[in-house]
Amino acid sequence: MSLQIKDLSKTFDSIPVYRNFDIDFPESTITCILGPSGCGKTTLLNIIGRIMVPDSGSLIGFDNKDISYIFQDPRLLPWKTVMGNIDFVMSRDIPAEERKKQAGWLIRLVELDAFADYYPSKLSGGMRQRVSIARAFAYSSDIILMDEPLKGLDIALKNNLIRSFSRIWQSDRRTVIFVTHDVDEALLLGNEIVVFSRPPVRIVTHERVELPVINRSLGSDYLAGMKKKLHRALGTPLHSDFIS
Amino acid sequence: MKISITKKQYIGLVSVIMMVVAWKLAAMHFDSDFVVPHPEKTILTVIKLFVDPGFITIVGTTIMRGLVGFVLSFIPGMVFGILAGISPGFNAFLRPILVTIRSIPVIALILMALIWLTPGSVPVFIAMLTMFPFICTNVTDGIRSIDPHLVEMATFYRVSRYRIIREVYIPAIMPFIMSGVSSAMGIGWRAIIIGEVLSQPTYGIGTVMQTAQTFLKVDAVIAWTIIAVLISYGFEKIIRWIENIIVVWKNSL
Repeated sequence: MSLQIKDLSKTFDSIPVYRNFDIDFPESTITCILGPSGCGKTTLLNIIGRIMVPDSGSLIGFDNKDISYIFQDPRLLPWKTVMGNIDFVMSRDIPAEERKKQAGWLIRLVELDAFADYYPSKLSGGMRQRVSIARAFAYSSDIILMDEPLKGLDIALKNNLIRSFSRIWQSDRRTVIFVTHDVDEALLLGNEIVVFSRPPVRIVTHERVELPVINRSLGSDYLAGMKKKLHRALGTPLHSDFIS
Repeated sequence: MKISITKKQYIGLVSVIMMVVAWKLAAMHFDSDFVVPHPEKTILTVIKLFVDPGFITIVGTTIMRGLVGFVLSFIPGMVFGILAGISPGFNAFLRPILVTIRSIPVIALILMALIWLTPGSVPVFIAMLTMFPFICTNVTDGIRSIDPHLVEMATFYRVSRYRIIREVYIPAIMPFIMSGVSSAMGIGWRAIIIGEVLSQPTYGIGTVMQTAQTFLKVDAVIAWTIIAVLISYGFEKIIRWIENIIVVWKNSL
């Protein structure tokens, strides 16, 4: 079973971003969309999240699906603690006691146990983004949309967040659509990696990464080979390509 | 941390002592209770006032007027402030009215109110008019300062409208409301006492100040002034205390 987008067309600021575009998202899988900046990746997320209406085309399998978001900025409520922010998005049909238990479990998974009662102003940027990851999983969604959540963070923080994310995902495999322009992020987190072209968007290549998402190493031959392929598809060859 | 607070308090104390010394020097220079009474004599007058049977009625009536004026300005201030925050059109409509109210000299308002209203209600009316613009503008600023991304986030996560108002909008405007209340109260007490001086209601700090002035009892005028300052200071403290409870997340920055 997969989620499908068929025959999508969307013109944005008189630029035809999508023209008769098709894409599939297998369920319980992390699909990374990789593409140059301004290629309409965010537009696609907005259409899936029903924030934007396409000019034409159909979304199949998205009806009645609940969606979580991990934004580029964590968007935490400054007046709520870590626990409060996670609890905020949980359904009020769940009794408070149960909500607290679930939120506590997620807080442990993102390694913020000691900070559950902290306000966001007291946390570092990376910690805040971890809260927003935990929040996305706290909401009972079927799909998680991630729009460059690691942009602008240093490598150590990125790896740390990728580890937090994959650890939760390992025990709660939701359908994830992860948009990025960074090849390394896609290699570390994606089950499927789709490379987009500039508008009007077409799929340049579609790779499958046959590795568990946890404990991946960019140094492995498999991922290094994949990295070359992706860079070539993006039209940004690595230095090593020129040398060889 | 603790040392710096103590140091600040120490400097504050020095400042108070300097004011008292300046007062004492002025009193010695003029050497007349009808011009500048001695501080110790005035303090004695304050103490005498405290034990006077009429004291509670006088102070209580003035405080009551302040609170009524505050409530009467707070409720419309909130309503109009929220409307102006949501609707730019309404804000454009309200702006000239607020500017006008704020620009009119308090004394002009009092003179008009004296013609229209009873002596007891003049100070309340004045307090209401002086406090209203502060509350209103601050609430409007608060609403406009709300991060639309946070509201968007709450909408994406399908949080109910009621909870968005209660848990996103209200906490976001709370610091603005508290600072509006604080400025409004600061101005409000002064306005009430001026109102009382001129309208002469049966009870009120302004009334007794005016009487004392008529009989050249300068020590009593200063004593009542000190009491008025203490009331204002007391309310400021209460507001800060409430603020610390409500906006605890801001203080932990």
